[in-house]
Amino acid sequence: MKRLSRREFLQATGAGLVATSPVVGLTQMATPTGSFSDYRALVCVFLFGGNDSYNMLVPRSDAEYNVYSRSRQNLAIDRAALLPISPLIRDGAHYGLHPNMGAIQTLFDSARVAFVTNVGPLIEPTTKEQYESGSVALPPRLFSHNDQQAQWQSLRGRAPGKTGWAGRVGDLLRSHVSDQQLATNVSLAGNQLFQAADETVAYTMGRNGPIPFQGMGDAQRAQQRRAVFQRILGADYDTMYERAYRDIQQRAVETVDRVSAALENAQPLSTTLPSSRLGQQLGTVARLIGVREQLDMQRQIFFVSTGGFDSHDDQLQSQPALLSDVSESISAFYRATVELGVASSVTTFTQSDFGRTLTSNGDGTDHGWGGVQFVVGDAVRGRELYGRYPRLEIGGPDDVRRGRLIPGISADQYAATLARWIGVPDEDLGHVAPHLHNFAQRDLGFLI
Amino acid sequence: MSMAEAWRFLNQATFGATQADAQQVIDIGIEDWIEQQIGQPASLQLPYLNTLPVPDRPPQLQPDRVDSWFRNVVDGPDQLRQRVAFAMSQIMVVSEVGALRQAPYGLAGYYDMLVENAFANFRELLEDVTLHPSMGVYLSMLGNQRADPERNISPDENYAREMMQLFTIGLVELNLDGTVRTDAQGEEIPTYNQDIIEGFARVFTGWNYAEGANFNRARRTIPTQIMPMELYPDYHSGESKQLLNGTQLPEGQSGQQDLEDALDNVFAHANVGPFIATRLIERLVTSNPTPGYVERVASTFNDNGSGVRGDLQAVIKAILLDEEARSADTTASSGKLKEPLLRLTQLWRAYDARSADGTFVFRPSTNDVFAQGPLQSPSVFNFFSPFYAPPGEIANAGLTAPELQIATEFRNTLITNYFYTQVFRRHSARDGLRADEVYIVIEDELTLAANPDALIERIAEKLLGGEISETLHTAAKEMVETREADDVAGRVAEALFLIVSSPEFARQH
Repeated sequence: MKRLSRREFLQATGAGLVATSPVVGLTQMATPTGSFSDYRALVCVFLFGGNDSYNMLVPRSDAEYNVYSRSRQNLAIDRAALLPISPLIRDGAHYGLHPNMGAIQTLFDSARVAFVTNVGPLIEPTTKEQYESGSVALPPRLFSHNDQQAQWQSLRGRAPGKTGWAGRVGDLLRSHVSDQQLATNVSLAGNQLFQAADETVAYTMGRNGPIPFQGMGDAQRAQQRRAVFQRILGADYDTMYERAYRDIQQRAVETVDRVSAALENAQPLSTTLPSSRLGQQLGTVARLIGVREQLDMQRQIFFVSTGGFDSHDDQLQSQPALLSDVSESISAFYRATVELGVASSVTTFTQSDFGRTLTSNGDGTDHGWGGVQFVVGDAVRGRELYGRYPRLEIGGPDDVRRGRLIPGISADQYAATLARWIGVPDEDLGHVAPHLHNFAQRDLGFLI
Repeated sequence: MSMAEAWRFLNQATFGATQADAQQVIDIGIEDWIEQQIGQPASLQLPYLNTLPVPDRPPQLQPDRVDSWFRNVVDGPDQLRQRVAFAMSQIMVVSEVGALRQAPYGLAGYYDMLVENAFANFRELLEDVTLHPSMGVYLSMLGNQRADPERNISPDENYAREMMQLFTIGLVELNLDGTVRTDAQGEEIPTYNQDIIEGFARVFTGWNYAEGANFNRARRTIPTQIMPMELYPDYHSGESKQLLNGTQLPEGQSGQQDLEDALDNVFAHANVGPFIATRLIERLVTSNPTPGYVERVASTFNDNGSGVRGDLQAVIKAILLDEEARSADTTASSGKLKEPLLRLTQLWRAYDARSADGTFVFRPSTNDVFAQGPLQSPSVFNFFSPFYAPPGEIANAGLTAPELQIATEFRNTLITNYFYTQVFRRHSARDGLRADEVYIVIEDELTLAANPDALIERIAEKLLGGEISETLHTAAKEMVETREADDVAGRVAEALFLIVSSPEFARQH
């Protein structure tokens, strides 16, 4: 794969002399400087609400399980029900997965899955002493849903940024992929900060793909209607609201036909995905990946999501079904990438608002901080846990209150590892993950 | 007052301007029109749901709840009250998406409560919201109990946190004009910390469905979905409670006393005025009010002129009568994008939409098309964020456009297609419609179909207050003329489609 640094782009275009900020620099990079020789895609599965991930990956060895069980009380999962996993490198403890995640257990055993333990938004490495004494910079508004979703999606820390980290990756890769007929960033779950960017625009479709405009097909009058419709969208408008609406409509009408046409001619997949909303989204992603060549796609970042993880109540009823869906949908999607021959070119990863408190409200949990995420694909150095598994003890060294755990790994490190894999040169990772320079490990090593 | 002025006002104060309403506003003036509206009795949902048989499975009643909402907002005489309630339903959010799918009576009752409180005092509204079992279920105050350290159980922080963040004061201290206050170092000042969240979480313990034999036996029934939650004192936290502004509630107060004191404490916070003023202005008038506008409305919230704080009737008048809402001088950031559902209701109101059986049942859900529906938000954070700024011109200017968050390529296509189907297939000149299909009445337009300019002008009067761009007029005329003169319904539909899907119709002035 050919990797050109941003500095090299700027030198090649002569823009480096005038580029004073990353944003200004990017606007200067319009000249294509070569394309990638391979195809790669990232698929973000966002678990909205804050997954209680310390009930997803649970210690099984005596001492650690006892600490877990004392903390979690009635929310603890029965040790015998946990699905054992055997990481290649041991930290001395044994671990198991939530009983409903058998499909992920299987993929873990065949080294297609890695877990990243106790990851979350951080500005800099943070200890409990520093947290309590206030001597460390913290992401603003910890434990708040929308703010922490925004942290995971943007990595903006205390800055007021309006772009997402995938959007910035798309901007950085832009000149390599100028032949693509579809935006690098595609969302199947609405407009997301994750993909917002300065220079490029994400394309949003439904969970079953894009839909055509009615009355604008091939018949003569329909063609005329479409031309007239577009002429209206080509006009000037007085307000920024109309202009923004117009631009979205224009993109919609210009994009849908070629994407739909490619999908219609696609070879059907023999892999079946679950009928859940998440399964439908991932099935559409698989179909889009299947037509990557027709659309001249080289780099893609997909956003899919599922919700309902904000388990203040009835957690033991609600979370198992959600994890079952996540496990079944993601593993079926992995099988679809095998069928398409792209399993080493597609990496799926999770993000979520936050982990949850280890203590309960009776039958649910509150908003926490660090948690466990996982990564799937043949490019993953699987069957491993990355990061230290925290001590699940109330009042313990990782707990700041009620079992809210200080992340040991930052979301910046997690994102930078993914961004490097998809083609961002090392010297540009700081543009994707602005606080990466505060952490010793720039690459967590979970991708080949 | 000009037609354009009346039109602009009605799109702020109703579910869509109509010519009849505009004429009335011109005749009696905005202030008298508002007074008449405040005097209108509330159109409610529960009385209608109670006429229907109890369904086998509760979710089956949700489409009827939405039907009832449409009847009230499309045909109800209490337009201003309904519009304010819809705004409030997007600030103090509960949603059918989730556990409340099982509680359609509770959701209808919650909405009715918002409708009835549209011109009440904010303090009463806040208490009614807090004790409503729908909110209790949605943000898990219902069944919330005092700490049990032996079992590592602490009071649930959900309602405490979201009530402060989303319903009353927000995350950071505000000036009276809605701008963010900063400290000596230039940093924003958080309104609350974890101690305060835990304090309020303790306050909100001990409440469950009414009429339970005890706390653990309180159950959801049709009546208890609607009755305010009841205190079960044994489950209320007796610990002291840290509240806002340094207030601490002493140990051992009753749950009722704690609740009253805590709601008084929030209500007295200086942020409530600018926070609620901004949220309501954003729903009714503009995405980007000037600080002066926010300050004038917030001042009215703080004191209605008679020393009363939180008088929503005065607040609504202050919002709608303000020079910034009324001035004809507009800039690139004046007004807003219409909420998608309001584009539909405006079309329906302008074209007297109805179905043969009198219902407005929308299947499977307005959410599936418009990404918006009454009490159908995907989360307590509403359909869109008040802080959303699309990348590009709006974000670069430091401005916001909340509605644009859901105006994706996909949603815009769905909505455009919905309008296409509506104007081409579901209208009064069409035979064979199902009894429950909502159609628009285009008789007036049919008579003008032979004269494209007159036809387009007539539609522009009904949908745009008579002001249509030359581009749109010319484009519509071109399409009208692709149809033979005897294809009158086709001619009408061509013009209607381009106008209702245009950027100028999507804008609220």
